Amino acid sequence: MLNDLLLTLPITIATVWVLVLILCEAFVHNANLTRWLTAIGFAGIIASIFLIPSPEGYAYGTMLRTGTFTNFSNFIFAVSGLLVVSISDKYLEEEEINFGEYYIILFISTIGMMLMGSAANLSVIFIGLETMSVALYTLAGMLRKDVRSNEAAMKYFLLGSFATGFFLYGIALIYGATGELALPRIAASLQTNGVSTLFWIGLSLLMIGFLFKVSAVPFHQWTPDVYEGSPTTAAAFMSTGSKAAAFSSLIIVLSNISIALPNNAVLQTAFAYIAVATMAVGNITALTQDNLKRMLAYSSIAHAGYMLVGIAAGSNEGYSGVLYYALIYTLMNVGAFGVIAVLERHRTLTNASDYAGLFKQHPLLAGLMAVFMFSLAGLPPFGGFVGKYKVFAAAVEADLTWLAIVGVLASVVSVYYYLRVVIFMFMRDPEPAPQANANATGSFALVAIAVIVFLMGIFPTEVLKLADNAMKVALK
Amino acid sequence: MNSLAYQIIFYLFAAIIVGSAALVVISKNIIHSAFGLLFTFFGVAAIYVYLNADFIAVTQIVVYVGGILVLLLFGVMLTNKITQADLKTETLNPVPGLLITLSVLAMLLYTFYFRAKWVTVPVDQQLRGTVVEPIGIATMTTYVLPFEIVSIVLMVALLGAAYIARADRKVQTKEGK
Amino acid sequence: MHQYIFLTILFPLAGFLINSLFTLTNFLGWRTKERETLVGLFSSLMIAIPFGIVVAIFLEMLSEAERPAHLVEVYQWMNTGLMNVAIAYQVDTLSVLMALIVTGVGTLIHIYSIGYMHGDDGFSRFFSYLNLFIFAMMNLILGANMVVMFLGWEGVGLCSYLLIGFWYDRKFEGTAIVSTGDAAKKAFITNRVGDFAMLGAMFLIFQTLGSLNYTDIIAKRDAFDGTTVFWITLLIFIGCTGKSAQLPLFVWLPDAMAGPTPVSALIHAATMVTSGIYITARLSPLFLMAPQTMEIIAVVGAITAIFAGTVGLVQNDIKKVLAYSTVSQLGFMFLALGVGAFQIAIFHVMTHAFFKACLFLGSGSVIHAMHEEQDIRKMGGLRKYMPSTSTTFFIASLALAGFPLTAGFFSKDAILAEAFASGHIVLYAIGTVAAFCTAFYSMRLCVLTFLGEERFNKSVAAPTTSSVAEQEPGGGHGDHGYDAHDDHGHGDAHGADGHAIHPHESPAFMTVPLWILAALSLGAGFLGLPAVVTEHSWIHGWLESSVMQAEAAHHLSHETEWILLGIGSLVAVLGLGFGYFVYAMRIEIAASAKRSLAFLYTTLLDKYYIDELYELLFVRPVQWLSDKVLFRFDTSVVDGTVNGIGDIFMSLGNGLRKWQSGVAQNYAVAITFGLILVIAFIAFR
Repeated sequence: MLNDLLLTLPITIATVWVLVLILCEAFVHNANLTRWLTAIGFAGIIASIFLIPSPEGYAYGTMLRTGTFTNFSNFIFAVSGLLVVSISDKYLEEEEINFGEYYIILFISTIGMMLMGSAANLSVIFIGLETMSVALYTLAGMLRKDVRSNEAAMKYFLLGSFATGFFLYGIALIYGATGELALPRIAASLQTNGVSTLFWIGLSLLMIGFLFKVSAVPFHQWTPDVYEGSPTTAAAFMSTGSKAAAFSSLIIVLSNISIALPNNAVLQTAFAYIAVATMAVGNITALTQDNLKRMLAYSSIAHAGYMLVGIAAGSNEGYSGVLYYALIYTLMNVGAFGVIAVLERHRTLTNASDYAGLFKQHPLLAGLMAVFMFSLAGLPPFGGFVGKYKVFAAAVEADLTWLAIVGVLASVVSVYYYLRVVIFMFMRDPEPAPQANANATGSFALVAIAVIVFLMGIFPTEVLKLADNAMKVALK
Repeated sequence: MNSLAYQIIFYLFAAIIVGSAALVVISKNIIHSAFGLLFTFFGVAAIYVYLNADFIAVTQIVVYVGGILVLLLFGVMLTNKITQADLKTETLNPVPGLLITLSVLAMLLYTFYFRAKWVTVPVDQQLRGTVVEPIGIATMTTYVLPFEIVSIVLMVALLGAAYIARADRKVQTKEGK
Repeated sequence: MHQYIFLTILFPLAGFLINSLFTLTNFLGWRTKERETLVGLFSSLMIAIPFGIVVAIFLEMLSEAERPAHLVEVYQWMNTGLMNVAIAYQVDTLSVLMALIVTGVGTLIHIYSIGYMHGDDGFSRFFSYLNLFIFAMMNLILGANMVVMFLGWEGVGLCSYLLIGFWYDRKFEGTAIVSTGDAAKKAFITNRVGDFAMLGAMFLIFQTLGSLNYTDIIAKRDAFDGTTVFWITLLIFIGCTGKSAQLPLFVWLPDAMAGPTPVSALIHAATMVTSGIYITARLSPLFLMAPQTMEIIAVVGAITAIFAGTVGLVQNDIKKVLAYSTVSQLGFMFLALGVGAFQIAIFHVMTHAFFKACLFLGSGSVIHAMHEEQDIRKMGGLRKYMPSTSTTFFIASLALAGFPLTAGFFSKDAILAEAFASGHIVLYAIGTVAAFCTAFYSMRLCVLTFLGEERFNKSVAAPTTSSVAEQEPGGGHGDHGYDAHDDHGHGDAHGADGHAIHPHESPAFMTVPLWILAALSLGAGFLGLPAVVTEHSWIHGWLESSVMQAEAAHHLSHETEWILLGIGSLVAVLGLGFGYFVYAMRIEIAASAKRSLAFLYTTLLDKYYIDELYELLFVRPVQWLSDKVLFRFDTSVVDGTVNGIGDIFMSLGNGLRKWQSGVAQNYAVAITFGLILVIAFIAFR
């Protein structure tokens, strides 16, 4: 037991740290202290990932996986959490919700993500998903007095529960078809007993649960409403961490099961079609959005589409491409939401036209936003380009060249709405523009993100190697 | 008991479930619907008993009847009192709703009857007597991790509920209180 | 020590980044002139430290008997299976020598620029570009494969562009050029032609070898067949004609003088323009396999030398004279390369870096003193005002002219001797004539600038003394107004009614580098003494391990070599003497020569009309095509298509937007329909 705790040290640390946070907030009532402690917690998780070796294998029986894959995905979640915490405080003060609960709930949500990213058992995936989701529902409704925030929380909760129902039903059917919940044993059972239609239905339902979380078309419609209504920093967290968690869980399930599936092509084709629909709807609808938060919501749908291209490829290259993409997407999207949070005032000033002439007033902010927009659009030399290249290349290798072409065309469409923001910032005359609301930690975080996004575009090799390694070792 | 008696009792409960479920959907009075749901839950619990799943049957009654349904009724009655209005529901979109329901039903039935390969357990391994003990042991050994994590889920739900429901507070700024 | 070579690349990069931050703060409006010296000294330090490191490496190598090439790999940049490119640096005698020149001269010019750029609005911008240039140049000469080299190659091109156009809003006149920005563009575009050829050569090499590392190219050079190696070397040479300003791509270099003078000294005289010679020497084994290319190189080099040397005879702008002189000297270097004397070419690169940098910096000092006046017809008699500048300028001019025992004498005569020895008698003759021209215009420049009477406070129009102050010879030459009434946006500084100019010596920041460079121009030649004096000169011994020399089949007898040395000295002395005679004593000779040879004079003054020819052959047709054909095609067909597609997508987006009703139940219905679709597809395939 002790050994298991040590093997999954990031999760252990996080779980213990939650207690510290809750006790601290309960007795001290100081949101700033809680914020710093939360940041320390995330830093501790990251440090334990790097410092403590984690051998390939299982912990708690076959409940959790350990090893490089888990480390990589846990790293993404912790980075997402840390960055969101560092851009949050000024925004929360501005919106008058600077309470310790925000940080605690955010932290608990990360525990759920880490469970999803290291699960080897369907029951753990489900519990992790619920932990994450319940926390996110609350985060969406953090602005208690704002009707749109209430609406967002309610919608997210209703539709999320709806999708969770499917998810759970899928697990039940898979259990009925194979008699197992542990993923390796499910694969073994499939290999001995064959694959029944019951299992296929169960798998489809399971997939729908994931596709809802990554907001793939047609399970995506909650996304813009929820992101727009939620506090901006919470939306940053939802769009990055939870998406990365759903994708890593999806990869775990697929990579475990796919060896036992006789007809992989059907699954592949299904994912390819969903990816096409997601990229098309996300990008095309984003064209007509004026509100930047809604625009980024549709853009996050589109990016889920790009990542689904890697899933559709179904190879280790595709999966490692998705991991890399999830990391770079986390960075650049938190950055973009961070800039919006800095400029937002009481739920206003989030339209593209509010950014007219921003460059004249706040050259640094405008420059940062431009970097994030370029990277999101996938222009070299920024990291977003490398991520796209990786998943599209995997699709080409998997004989899905048409899918890669669709992906590239979709990215071309996306350039329009990203550059529109840049044009507003740099080429329009300034209006009485908003005062920036940045503080030292937030600005430092944004600049650091921009630098890393840039570096990951020029020197992607090391990180790509890590992502490749995560897939190679995780799947024999 | 012979199998005929089994059959009769099974179909009796099945009829109760379907009938009360129909009442839930069709009734315009929300109180009636709630009570219809009560019978549905009980019926399902009885079917569980029939399948030797005594633990699930008890859980069904405790959670759904004891928890959720009571909550539902309280909610309905409290809001009814506040607004002084009869709570009624309309049947919305009957055609698409029916279509979706029937197609899902058809798919499930088709799969269950023709395509599913159910895992069949040999007779000598079938559970006899209570299943509470093996479930308890499994919960505290194999599934101890998910079991413990559930406490975190509940905690975050509590935290969130407390946050949303509690009275206004002063916001802290950088300088402290 | 060699493993620290990456520091020599990192320091300039750090300098660039930090100076850019300073520039950014300028941009934000916090200008403070006080920290100028700080910025300048910091940037110089960022070059001086690498210089120290290179010196340490140099001394270490000097003590070794064997001098093998060290490969220092810093980072595996691209690793795609087929193509593996590392950011790796090759430390051998050739690259160390080049690095010494670049960082050494670079440091001096940085220090000089502190004085020269004093008070300029773009002070920190200037130094950040300079540091960036050194960074790129170090990549060019130290890179262990052609990709890193090309990175540097493009990088120096970019810096050259940025620095030529440093004063982007000033007026600058030339053929079809009205501002310094145009000159910068001209340099960049002309270079692109050469870069394209260089890329082609890289593709060809990669196609055959699958590798672009120098060690691989040289080790496996037998894998190339004769035709391939001809094309590779020819394409590389075409690339070099762009960067190193040879015929036919030299046209950008004279206009590059629009940049600040330290830039002309560093980039357009000492370092960047010699990168073509460096790359040829680096791949010398490959070039030795292609005798036809070598022949072409030798001929082009010789023609460029005489061509630019004659144009230099009549130019009136102090920097233009030096610019043509640079083109001419580069021609000499290519002549050396073409006859297989790669080591000699590098030797001349070194000596040329010293004396030409000194000359440019000296001219900068003069221009500084004369308030941006560059026309030598409006100078004269400056010697008594600027003793340091004039003395160093004289020394460097002597070196340029090849006066016996100066640095230029040894390197230039070695080149001519090699040309003679390899049997290229005609090229030798051309070279000798070009050397005479060099000596003549060197003296002309010195005399008109520093000796004689003071002309700077007199009106140009007043026909006081001589032909040099004469007005333009009639109409029809309005387009080379650069030579005549140029004012560089500083028209207030001189002229008949202008304020009087009071020349003064430049500050120590500027004169100290001048003295150091002058000393090097005098002494550096002894590193490459001719074969009659010492059988094996130092420069040959040093470069032996890294640069291949042509077969020493053409050995000269001692008598021949003495004779050649004698001819060389005689030509230099005669040229200098004749120049002194004409311009210091009998100025009317120049005037009458100009009248009687008017046609020749205007041809030379207009640089053989090469710019006009290019304008007619390339620029006009391209402009016509883009203006009349492509523009219309663009606006109607391309724009129409693009806008049409855009409209389609926008209306699609508006349609999809309506799907987003905002009602949660509808979303649930959509999810359920999706569910049915997915299950139907997957489970009932």
